[in-house]
Amino acid sequence: MVNQYLALSIGLPGHGLHLAYDPLALLFLAILTPQIIATALGPDRKSVAYWLFVAGMVLAVLAAEAFTLLLGFELMSAASWLLVLRGDRKPGTLYAGVAMFSGACLLPALFLPPGGIAFTLILLGAGAKAGLAPLHAWLPRAHPAPSAGVSALMSGGMVKVALYILIRYGFIVLGGAAQPWWGTALIIAGSASVLIGSLRAMLEVELKTILACSTVEHVGLIAVGLGIALRAKALGDPSLAALALQGALLCAIAHGLFKPLLFLGAGAVKHATSTTSLDWLGGLIRGMPRLGGLMLAGCFGMAALPLGPGFAPEFLLLHAVINAADTGEIISRIGFTALLAILGLSAALALGAAVRIIGIGFLGRPRSLRAAAAEEADKPVLLGMGLLALLCLPVALFPGLILLFLNPVINQLIPDAEQLPLGYAPAPLAFLLLLSAGAAYAVLKRFGTKAEREVHAFNGGFGKPPAWLPFGDPITQATGTGFAEPIKRALGVAILGPKTIDPGELYVLDPLRRLNVRFTRAAERVRRATIRQRLAFVFMALVLFLAALGFVQGT
Amino acid sequence: MSNFIYPLAHLLGGLILICAFALLSQRRLAAMITLYQFEAMILTAAAFWQGYAQHELALYLTGIITLVIKAIALPIGLRRIVKNFNIVRAVETAMPVGLSMILGVGLIGVAVWVVLPTTMSAVTLTREDLAISLSVVLLGLLVMTTRRNALSQVVGFLSTENGLVLAAIGMPGMPFVAELSVALLVLMAFLVVGVFLFRIREHFDNLDIAGIESIEKQGR
Repeated sequence: MVNQYLALSIGLPGHGLHLAYDPLALLFLAILTPQIIATALGPDRKSVAYWLFVAGMVLAVLAAEAFTLLLGFELMSAASWLLVLRGDRKPGTLYAGVAMFSGACLLPALFLPPGGIAFTLILLGAGAKAGLAPLHAWLPRAHPAPSAGVSALMSGGMVKVALYILIRYGFIVLGGAAQPWWGTALIIAGSASVLIGSLRAMLEVELKTILACSTVEHVGLIAVGLGIALRAKALGDPSLAALALQGALLCAIAHGLFKPLLFLGAGAVKHATSTTSLDWLGGLIRGMPRLGGLMLAGCFGMAALPLGPGFAPEFLLLHAVINAADTGEIISRIGFTALLAILGLSAALALGAAVRIIGIGFLGRPRSLRAAAAEEADKPVLLGMGLLALLCLPVALFPGLILLFLNPVINQLIPDAEQLPLGYAPAPLAFLLLLSAGAAYAVLKRFGTKAEREVHAFNGGFGKPPAWLPFGDPITQATGTGFAEPIKRALGVAILGPKTIDPGELYVLDPLRRLNVRFTRAAERVRRATIRQRLAFVFMALVLFLAALGFVQGT
Repeated sequence: MSNFIYPLAHLLGGLILICAFALLSQRRLAAMITLYQFEAMILTAAAFWQGYAQHELALYLTGIITLVIKAIALPIGLRRIVKNFNIVRAVETAMPVGLSMILGVGLIGVAVWVVLPTTMSAVTLTREDLAISLSVVLLGLLVMTTRRNALSQVVGFLSTENGLVLAAIGMPGMPFVAELSVALLVLMAFLVVGVFLFRIREHFDNLDIAGIESIEKQGR
């Protein structure tokens, strides 16, 4: 399974746990490490389940064979389930159901011979765990449930482990039998996740739910990149595959930094104000300036703005999609062009969601007394967030350098790939920007007028607060719901239907619930059956069995 | 004489099947018991015949047990129950006779369909005997499920057991202990069911298990 064998043999008697590392595993370990350090600074480090969760993730990434991989994956699922159960809301049953589903899909898939069935099962199992559409509806419910550090690790780390399994099996283990439709399936699932995730991130009101929906979006982006790479590899276009893979992996790195940062920040906001609903926040940046600054940095990444960590991956992905739309038959060209539109739309929506978090939650006037009285977050939390924000810097300013580190991984996944240099250099851009801003400042300082004039400060568009309302009337500001309303009218209703219910909820979870009710009724009918009816059931089962036996023997 | 072994064995098996089938069509309890008695007698004859054909002393013993317990003792006990309970004229109403007979034909078809291909390598005698006895078992189970009177369910159960014994005597090398224990089991079951029937009658004044079913529903 692993090319470079440096296996340790520890653990279970008779079998043993085989650990090994290769560039891909090291990359994902590098993605996991900062978030583990940052979240371990918080109060979660006292819980055993947290460390089991971490151990499961590391074990899954460093596994040398399928058994260890599955053990780590299941350990991760079980420990995170315990942590979800401990949280404030209780979507634990749904979470456990999804975890079992993905385990049940992965278990046979890891031992099947390479082929379409194995990949489909991997896609279902890992995709459900990662939150790929249409199996994503659990994620915005379960990820916000536990405490902030665990949420951060689930969103930034657990999802990556699922994607790691997808990459390891899609490209390496099953790589020999790869078909173009594998990539196409990934692209379709990914683009649906991107669309739904970004739209819901714009519409939700709970801060943590917004972040979880944004995770769905970013998982979708990574899946689109992986899908293009898988498809191009199967079609024999290694340079396009390498480009898409660069985008996907860089997106995974960036997301692994700014999403835990944001989740930790959301936890600090909850700690300070006892709510994460945007409609009850506002003006937090005055009470908690450092946290506000760090959240601003995280939102900068989430919005995929230029000079932020999220831009380079988006840039690479768009390039890959444009290149992919340039070749192939007419259907795939149309599809990739549509995908381009979806990616553009989602980038705009992500920007909207980021602006909404900062604008509604941290700027303006407080909408509740608690928001007004918020105090700065604890030092360990700020320290962890600061670490993540610091690590965002190289991703944001020197993505070319990061791509150099990615080269061995890409060579491992696509042996005959040639890496193109990145056509985007933010560091000189930032330097130029800084230079021109400094020059403008100097010019203004030197030649500008020194005279003073007193005017009313621009107060965000609304007037002075009346005397009887010291914080101003909160109703005069746009709320989180109101801010999203135009988008909801224009896009939400068109894409998610008149009630703006997540399709994953409507077409996957609801039918499952109805099925559950139907099965329960049937079971109840069996339970209420009279003796004679039960006898008849057993008798019918016997006759059916005999008939089946005769059918099998007869043919 | 040896030319007669297979045809006569088949004939006896066929007669048992006819009895079981007639049991399905019969709605009067007294007639069902008589049919059951016939069935047991033919089974006795079949056991003796197989004992003669296979030169097996144990099968004669089986025949004697069948004769004493099933052909004589059980029908007497059943008739006494019928007489004591005054249900000589009781008529079943649970399922139309025509429908249950159609189902019975289907079951015989299933039995033949299962047994004949499954035992392709076995001896012809045992193959067809197995098909007949499986049919008898299934018909007895059908009687048990379609009847509502507890006593006719008992008769169905006994008929099922006859089918099992028919399979056992047709099989060369079946240990005698198995047949003996089956026979004793039937006797025990009959005693238990007899006590049970008296209890049901004490409570409901008849043997229709609908009374139990309504209590079961109330209990939930």
